[in-house]
Amino acid sequence: MSLDPVLLAVIANRLDTIVREMENTLLRTGRSAVLNMARDFSCALITGDNRLLASAEGLPVHVIGMEFLAEAVTELHDDIREGDAFLHNDPYLGNTHPADHVILVPVFVDGVHIFTAAAKAHQADCGNANPTTYMPFARDIYEEGGLIFPAVRVQRDNEDIADVIRMCRRRIRVPDQWYGDYLAMVGAARIGETRLKELVAKYGLDTIKQFIEEWFDYSERRVAHVISQMPKGTIVGHGRHDPFGPLPDGIPINVKVSIDPAAGMIDIDLTDNIDCVPAGVNESRTCAMNNVMTGVFNSIDPDIPHNAGTFRRITVRLRENCVVGIPRFPHSCSVATTNVGERLVVTTQKAFADAWDGYGLAEGACGIGPGYAVVSGIDWRKNNEPYVNQKFLGSQGGPAGPEIDGWITYGNSVTNGLMFRDSVEIDEQKYPIRVTEIRVRPDSEGSGRRRGAPGFRVAYGPKHDEMRAFYVTDGCHFPPRGVRGGGDAAASLPFKVTADGQEDGLPPIASTDLQAGELLLHLLSGGGGYGDPLEREVERVRDDVLSEFVTFERARDVYGVVFANTELSDALAVDVEATERHRESLRAMRGNTSPANA
Amino acid sequence: MTYRISVDTGGTFTDVVVADAEGKLRISKALTTPRRAFEGINTALADVSSTLGLSVRDLLSLSESFTYGTTRATNAIVEGKTARTAFFTTHGFPDILLLREGGKLDPFRQIPYPPPYVPRYLTFEIEERIDSEGDVFIPLNEGSVRAALERCRDLEVQAIGVSLLWSIVNPAHELRVGELIADVLPDVPFTLSHQLNPIVREYRRTSSCVIDASLKPLMQEHLSSLDADLRAAGFKGHLFIATSFGGSWRPEEVIERPIYSVGSGPSMAPVAALSYTVAERSTDEHSEDFLVCDTGGTTFDVGLVSGGQINYTAETWLGGRWIGHITGIRSVDVKSIGAGGGSIAWLDPGGLLRVGPQSAGADPGPACYGRGGTLPTVTDSAVVLGYIDPGYFLGGRLSLDVDAARRALAEHIAAPLGWSVEDAASAVLVIATENIVGAIREITISQGIDPREVTIVAGGGASGLNIVPIARELGCTRVMLPSTAGALSACGAMYADIISEFSVSRYVETRGLDFDAVNEALASVEARAKAFLQGLEDIDPLSTRIEFLVAARYRQQVWELDIPLAGSRLESEADVRVLEQTFHDTHRRVFAVDEPGQYLECLVWKSRATAVTAKPSVSARTRESADGDMVKHAPAFFRNVGLTETPMYSGVLLTPGMCVDGPAIIREPTTTVVVYPGSTATVTPLGNYLLEIGPEPADVAAAGIREEVAAS
Repeated sequence: MSLDPVLLAVIANRLDTIVREMENTLLRTGRSAVLNMARDFSCALITGDNRLLASAEGLPVHVIGMEFLAEAVTELHDDIREGDAFLHNDPYLGNTHPADHVILVPVFVDGVHIFTAAAKAHQADCGNANPTTYMPFARDIYEEGGLIFPAVRVQRDNEDIADVIRMCRRRIRVPDQWYGDYLAMVGAARIGETRLKELVAKYGLDTIKQFIEEWFDYSERRVAHVISQMPKGTIVGHGRHDPFGPLPDGIPINVKVSIDPAAGMIDIDLTDNIDCVPAGVNESRTCAMNNVMTGVFNSIDPDIPHNAGTFRRITVRLRENCVVGIPRFPHSCSVATTNVGERLVVTTQKAFADAWDGYGLAEGACGIGPGYAVVSGIDWRKNNEPYVNQKFLGSQGGPAGPEIDGWITYGNSVTNGLMFRDSVEIDEQKYPIRVTEIRVRPDSEGSGRRRGAPGFRVAYGPKHDEMRAFYVTDGCHFPPRGVRGGGDAAASLPFKVTADGQEDGLPPIASTDLQAGELLLHLLSGGGGYGDPLEREVERVRDDVLSEFVTFERARDVYGVVFANTELSDALAVDVEATERHRESLRAMRGNTSPANA
Repeated sequence: MTYRISVDTGGTFTDVVVADAEGKLRISKALTTPRRAFEGINTALADVSSTLGLSVRDLLSLSESFTYGTTRATNAIVEGKTARTAFFTTHGFPDILLLREGGKLDPFRQIPYPPPYVPRYLTFEIEERIDSEGDVFIPLNEGSVRAALERCRDLEVQAIGVSLLWSIVNPAHELRVGELIADVLPDVPFTLSHQLNPIVREYRRTSSCVIDASLKPLMQEHLSSLDADLRAAGFKGHLFIATSFGGSWRPEEVIERPIYSVGSGPSMAPVAALSYTVAERSTDEHSEDFLVCDTGGTTFDVGLVSGGQINYTAETWLGGRWIGHITGIRSVDVKSIGAGGGSIAWLDPGGLLRVGPQSAGADPGPACYGRGGTLPTVTDSAVVLGYIDPGYFLGGRLSLDVDAARRALAEHIAAPLGWSVEDAASAVLVIATENIVGAIREITISQGIDPREVTIVAGGGASGLNIVPIARELGCTRVMLPSTAGALSACGAMYADIISEFSVSRYVETRGLDFDAVNEALASVEARAKAFLQGLEDIDPLSTRIEFLVAARYRQQVWELDIPLAGSRLESEADVRVLEQTFHDTHRRVFAVDEPGQYLECLVWKSRATAVTAKPSVSARTRESADGDMVKHAPAFFRNVGLTETPMYSGVLLTPGMCVDGPAIIREPTTTVVVYPGSTATVTPLGNYLLEIGPEPADVAAAGIREEVAAS
């Protein structure tokens, strides 16, 4: 007999509540800015047989594939028991990239392993060869240099295993910061454990087991229904990561998307891609999978659950030793979560938009350029204590959808606007830096009937002693593209500003040392547009001009909007007739070809 | 004979409560008159004064205090009807209000990006920069200020918010900008961020600052005219304005800092709950943690009182968490959940029953309103189940269409699921309950409160419909439902003290603590608290007190906890150890972990001044009407029981000590209490209802009324 549908809804809701409680613990108790300001973490609940059950509002790149981590625990250990906790960051065994540490706590009821509670958080440092959590030039995992934990037991009987903690404290920069974050993750996972036990005590183990199967079935029905309403067809989306160092042609990406509404299945094939590369930008298996899944979820009804039941209806084909597939040891996956991973997301969602009007999204901004650099140095205010952390000061633009303009605080495609931004004041209080500018970068948006979000102009530097910055920009050569007549966004451009104010271009992917008085400057890209900009409602263009997202010149040349005055106030008025004439002439000029990218 | 009056002016109704010298409360409601608040108040007062045999003028002239809570400021913000406000910011940072702090709820849902509180063309970059250590990095260019002010004059700006980076460490530039505004545009009110809300984090401080400035012209006009109207109508006593802090201020203080009137109405519900539970405690020794639930037509508001203290938050968002506008000030922690009587029930494509977030609102409203609504709502379900008397809704002003409610449920829920209409209605209430339970769990747990250990205090007209199953699902066994539940906020304003907080930002670490810096900070907030209390001498408070707190965090954390200090100064290392220990304990309670031995980073030092005002004692309810039957019977549907002949009690005829065993329904003029099977309602000595909730029984035997204790 099937479970009361009311009880089904009730228990599903309880699980999400548990995940949110875990997340709240991580946010409030984490030590590094990556956690406690930017919220670069996620929690999830996995079944004892390693299926993703609940993830509330976790980052897409983090939670999809969490089940592989739990799988590594059960496959590697035959002596798992209550009170254990495992530390896992191995990209060959289901993790995203080594900088994401994960704490996994098996949850036992009557001696049976029924759930695993997982907390994953991007670390401020993971012991890499350089003070950064992203090593794009690492030819292999040895050059990358970080500590790898293949689902290593880190607690037994709820007590730390001191050997492991000592290893981390010896090899991870600013060890107290790491340990504080470790405590926050353990606290989150243990809270999950406690609440799950309460849940089972309340409803009984049999009901919970039945719930799990029915919840997956329900989720599968939901996504199958959504797919059944979609058009049938196959398209291959092509994208490319910017060239850098060892890869002068960049990294081409092919995503083959097939929709079969009758079967209620979506199939994504990534096997037609190049082999692993001798650089730190290979995808881990989990990232290859979750990034195309994110592209799919961006393109279909958002109201479906996202769990193992849903995943039954989306197949992702990967091959071994592929840059966007299953990495072959010892290729490095140091940068797997961003860059190439982001290109997978945006190429997938753009393929949907290219093939089927009204579906998918344009491309969003990619990469973790200087606005998101990992910076390190010493703090003269605290007896020259060392510091290392990733900044989240930048803001790059989200992609336009068929009905909605791009999201401004988008971050990047793998976090989809979920992450928080740094506070300038908190950053300056915690680190010896000064931020001099964060402002909208006009005309950086991809134009369109729905436009991408604008990027920003961000500058900061050290106040006293030298600061080192590592960053991995993308979108300098191949900026985010628009779809269905929408324009491309402005390219992402890194600079160093000298003490006398000169702006020197920097390589897109590099590290740089800055002295007091020098600044790291980043002109971040916007998101791509969706549809013809000449069809954008004039009132929206007026709002964009008043917000200084778009200049008068661009409003006229790209959107075809002519204003009756140039008053930047509510007195600003569109000349409707002149606009209609101008739009007609722009259409005539481009003839029957698709609108030019601006 | 002297009276006290309190008023809560909502968007639709104005609730008025009048207390006489014995503390007896009389309640009335009238429609709110937005253009002139006094008109609606006058209508409701006339209703009360006639029962006292007085004119409104007599009543007002005999009243020693009038406490006014209003949603005026909140509504003005929501409707975008605040002053045309400019924002002066540090050069380089014009988009603080646009960017906020990032974050969004649903990764895969595309939603429009919300505009900033102040548009970019009213944002002015001031050439200046102060560093985090307080040093001037770029001196203030007064020319840039004067140019901005000239442009403000041209644009007819009505208010200015000034929020410069690090003004909390060195306020010199903000103060000078203030002088220049007063000089160039003397009639334009302004707010300086470091004076209003000296917290680190530029977005929060700026958002507080511009919201406050934008309310100044409006609230000055609103409160001045109310004062004038009251005086003209004969009122000679003290006028107090409810604040979001759960206390009250005099009008001039609210005009100075009007952001504190945002959300002041809902913040009064916990005050009422605290007063009632304290009053009942003479006969009732129980937990001091309670949840205050206030149910309306579209929202369910939840506040928390722990250890006898009302909970506060610094994260109140208008228009949605992370994507709306944060008030940034500490205020009573009241969270709104989009779950009310109007929430619509529907089946999703996977066949799962859902309730909300769509609401039928007031128009067309639930199907049973008979105004064209065809979708089933929570209210329709309560009507179908027999909980709401269709002939006595809103005191009989709206006759409900039971058949329409049944049709809506049958068509959209019962038929597709193959259920009876009653089963469907019952399931709708279960899901509506679950939505609320999940939200309450998040709210309580994030504060370190176990919902199983609290007492719920329920207010609002609709709260009695499902407060028993809500409590049961939370594992909570006791619910207090005041007989005045329908006007809980207005009652709270009657019991509000005058409370104000003063704070100063001073960063120190508890390792090698700089005692002089800390004690200087504490002395300054103490001096301001004392000056505030001295200014209240004409009110003649019963007593005054000053408490001290510090916002602190572990080394390298960024989110602070408010920790009370044992005394007014830190004198010794022993005092510091006590502070650290209090922090460890609080951190463990809230977050399940602590780090003994780790030092603290202390950011903001605060004083809280309280002037305890004279207020009516909470007294027993007197029964006005003796007419009619105490009980009649009608069918009602309960899960696991089915449709059963159920006693319906007239609440006004029940007397203290009476116990009503579920299933039963108690009807009060302003609320309905559904006593579900397995629960018992007892009339308390003061005439409120105490619901005791046991497990849901598998089936139910005889139910009815017991005379347990003779009423005194």
